[in-house]
Amino acid sequence: MQRTVPSLPLAPSVKVKLINAGFQVASDLIDMRPLQLCKEAGISQEEAVEVLQMLRDDGQPHQQRAATESLTALDLLHQEQALGSIVTFCSALDDALGGGVPVGKTTEICGAPGVGKTQLCMQLAVDVQIPVCFGGLGGKALYIDTEGSFLVQRVVDMAEAVVQHCTLLAEDTEQRQALEELTVEKILSSLFLVRCHDYVELLAEVYLLPDFLSEHPEVRLVVIDSIAFPFRHDFEDLSQRTRLLNGLAQQLIQLATQHSLAVVLTNQMTTRVSNGQSKLVPALGESWGHAATQRLILHWEGLRRLASLYKSPSQMEATIQYQITLQGFRDAPDEPRPTPASSAVSCPSGNHSKRPRMEDLS
Amino acid sequence: MLMASKKLRRTGVSAELCERLKRHQLETCQDVLSITPVELMRLAGLSYPAALELLQLLSRACAPAVSRAWDLWRKKGELCFSTSLPALDTLLRGGLPRGALTEVTGPSGCGKTQLCMMLSVLATLPRTMGGLDSGVIFIDTESAFSAERLVEMAQARFPEFFSVKERLLEMASRVHLFRELTCQDVLNRLERLEEDIIACRAGLLILDSVASVVRKEFDTSLPGNLTFRSNLLGQEAAVLKYLSQAFCIPVVLTNQITTRVGEKVHCPQWNQADVSKEEDSGFVTAALGNTWSHSVNTRLIVQYEDTERRQIVIAKSPVAPFAVLSYTVQKEGIRLEALAHKGQNEALIKLPLRQATWRICEFSGICRNNKGTTKLFILSGKHGRGSWTYGNENPESVLNQGTDPGLQPIRVRSGFICNLSQATPSTC
Repeated sequence: MQRTVPSLPLAPSVKVKLINAGFQVASDLIDMRPLQLCKEAGISQEEAVEVLQMLRDDGQPHQQRAATESLTALDLLHQEQALGSIVTFCSALDDALGGGVPVGKTTEICGAPGVGKTQLCMQLAVDVQIPVCFGGLGGKALYIDTEGSFLVQRVVDMAEAVVQHCTLLAEDTEQRQALEELTVEKILSSLFLVRCHDYVELLAEVYLLPDFLSEHPEVRLVVIDSIAFPFRHDFEDLSQRTRLLNGLAQQLIQLATQHSLAVVLTNQMTTRVSNGQSKLVPALGESWGHAATQRLILHWEGLRRLASLYKSPSQMEATIQYQITLQGFRDAPDEPRPTPASSAVSCPSGNHSKRPRMEDLS
Repeated sequence: MLMASKKLRRTGVSAELCERLKRHQLETCQDVLSITPVELMRLAGLSYPAALELLQLLSRACAPAVSRAWDLWRKKGELCFSTSLPALDTLLRGGLPRGALTEVTGPSGCGKTQLCMMLSVLATLPRTMGGLDSGVIFIDTESAFSAERLVEMAQARFPEFFSVKERLLEMASRVHLFRELTCQDVLNRLERLEEDIIACRAGLLILDSVASVVRKEFDTSLPGNLTFRSNLLGQEAAVLKYLSQAFCIPVVLTNQITTRVGEKVHCPQWNQADVSKEEDSGFVTAALGNTWSHSVNTRLIVQYEDTERRQIVIAKSPVAPFAVLSYTVQKEGIRLEALAHKGQNEALIKLPLRQATWRICEFSGICRNNKGTTKLFILSGKHGRGSWTYGNENPESVLNQGTDPGLQPIRVRSGFICNLSQATPSTC
């Protein structure tokens, strides 16, 4: 398992000189002194020092890594259970996802316009802050908005509903104490917001995320709403777009595992025409489909809003129904489908469904 | 535009490195951030850690600032622009959102331009009266703006305030009109609009309409045009969003409608026998397609209810539930009637569309308005040319499109009789 010189992360010109001087593998270089290397390879003294330092850093952790790299599945199981997940307040969806949106993985939410993607993202940004004694994660959230759909009034509605929900649940003193700190103001203060206008700002923000997360280690959720909009109209060269998106996906997965946070991405739908029929498919191309660990597709069926778990390494495919109420993202009420003869369907008070009901034809 | 085009020289990158990058046409932050780290390594001759460091430096130079939702909420007085229609304001939690795009779409003659003119008047009012006390930028692509109507509306809506002639003149002088007739003109105008917004101290931006120039120039049946058009619209949307967020102003766009023909529509109240017969049914939806529907943040659909009354439907909004309001167009602009339907209970949208009882081979769905009627011109069809008006006398012709609210069916007219025989398309 010798590392060859061309595979080292050095500047290309330095590599060429080393190879021309006859160094083929890393072990050839390890025992060299800087001045000697300088003369033999014809590189400058600073470059020689850089090469040797890199090899030294490389060598040690490599052996250490070899020892720690073998994790057993049992260790992983403990780790995953410790990570937890973020509830969505729609119990059907939580069950389908195995507890909620998982921490340490990237989840993609696709859907047609108006179906509720931003609502779900805002709900998650509030839910991640539920204190640990209530079964939540007690963390903060970072919301990267590329479309301008983030409206604070709605988050306030959802935050009030969550506080009310916890108030009803509080039983012991620990929970009551946590409840005193859980106010709408605190929820809004723990929700960080970044507005990116184009893909360059988005890429820049993701490059800076590791520093941001080191400064704010309590962040447990990063939402990018949406990742599709900035990438859909500026690119003539689609292969460049694919490269950038893949790089972005890798960075996000790395962040998710290293800082144990949940990354949620929103995608749009695009029309694809095939055989004279047009249908809606997730945007950003086929290769993007592989980027996220889990994929959730929100869609309409008649008048109902459905969420389908389309891709998941651990959960079964499932389709559940949900609705958007004043309080946020919730389970769909169990009510009989309205027949044409019946008039207005009864609904729980305070519910505002966003879809028209079937018409009363009589 | 924006931070991405910052030159490398100004970000603290060493001059020597700037030169090296320039040789590979990498001059701005955007150029460097658009390539992967490995490519950067190769082009700039840097080691991998150095390449990452360079990317970090440039990211710091162009990344946007991080704020908190609480800071936004504390400025809640500045979040919305009141439309002076109380029911609509309540549903939208204050009014049209500032910093986001609002689209008004519907058949012609329904009142979209009237609504835009009414909002222009409102924006110039002082804050005590619910206005923004600012200028208005009105980009007109259909030459539908009428200054006389603006003045008449102002006088009728706020008679005491505008009884003083100077105020009327001042209001009129605050509305800045730009006439643009091609897509490229519109895009150029938008990209230079920052200076105009600052010069006019604009608090409202209106683009009436987005669809007319685009549909004139792009024949979407030709391959490649559809993607080109989508890209153009995406660019327009991005510029508008940037302007609206940077200046914290509401942006109102108008859109047209288009017919979609020949799709199987999900309609559970029909039984199977009916469904198989209705293969040629079509319906009218907002124009410009699916991608555009994603780009707007709020969508209001205006449609006809009967000859006099129209309806505003809140079709897409991050804060408002689905709701329908009735209104009429009067001298003072839009006047709301009672709240027609809201939420689940009575939100009943009649979506009448005359169904073809015969096959239409090909037709151009052009819906024009002519004093309250709407005609569908069949320019070439199996049964000859003609104009065809349609209505809702057939109760089974109610359709309900379920796949996409952005493409919801829109009611386009009220009861008229079909007139198909020798009629030639009359001028509208």
